[in-house]
Amino acid sequence: MRFNKKDYTQLENALIKAYREKEKPQVSEQWAMNVMQHIRNLGALPFKTSPFKLFEQFGWRFAPAVCVLIVLLTFWMVKLDFAPEDEMAIFSIEHPIEASYVEMPGL
Amino acid sequence: MPTHTTFVDDHDIVRQVIAGDINAFGFLMQKYQGHILTVVGNHIPHNQAEEVAHDVFVKAYQSLLTFKFKGGFKQWLSAIAVRTCYDFWRKEYRSRETPMSSCSEEEQNFVERALAKQSIQATSQENSQKEASELLDRALDKLSPEDRMVLELVYLEGLSGKEAAGLLGWSVANVKIRLFRSRKKLRKILTGFLED
Repeated sequence: MRFNKKDYTQLENALIKAYREKEKPQVSEQWAMNVMQHIRNLGALPFKTSPFKLFEQFGWRFAPAVCVLIVLLTFWMVKLDFAPEDEMAIFSIEHPIEASYVEMPGL
Repeated sequence: MPTHTTFVDDHDIVRQVIAGDINAFGFLMQKYQGHILTVVGNHIPHNQAEEVAHDVFVKAYQSLLTFKFKGGFKQWLSAIAVRTCYDFWRKEYRSRETPMSSCSEEEQNFVERALAKQSIQATSQENSQKEASELLDRALDKLSPEDRMVLELVYLEGLSGKEAAGLLGWSVANVKIRLFRSRKKLRKILTGFLED
């Protein structure tokens, strides 16, 4: 039997319809119990809490508080008028001997 | 369409399971059992669907640590189900004893029965559901597992290329190329059945 494009399209549609109307396989309650039994036999998952993972999950929650803290500290530092170079200069003038033993970071 | 709440609920249960509460996995299984059976039932013969669905849930449990909490659990589980079905066909394909091109006596009889009908229209109207399903299964059996899965997902189920690519873990281009080729193969097989 030869069949043309139209016939083939009809066949295709019938096959697609048949595929989509397939019945769902049925399982018993025993099946679900067996699966859970299998899973219980496997035991708990080997989950290790790494600090990085914890940070990834929970760290971002503290972001607003950290931002507020940075703003407050900056404000406090500005208000304090703290300048490390000046402090070191005063220290070296007032205590020249001790100052010679102090290693100044970054210098 | 899953809601945000569904995601959050599923995510909470997944976290409980990861933290060691194995029984919490039972809630996920109960919730998605029907969906997984539908997916598996579409791709696997019904007499083997139970076993494959069992494997799907065991694999899902074992892979739970790889679950990214960004997407939906249902989608992630569906991808596992589709890939398990694909693995099933790969195993079947390897263990086949008869060459793929040979046509068994049973198949010949079926083709003769199909040829006895006056037209395709008649075949599709009368009692045709079962016959169409049998014909399709016979044709799909002659395809490679890759062609079969792509054809079933996109052509028969009506998923988009992107959705099928996501489920199979392939590129969209690969899915499209394979779909084009497998449709041509299916046509050749079906016309071969009916024109021989």
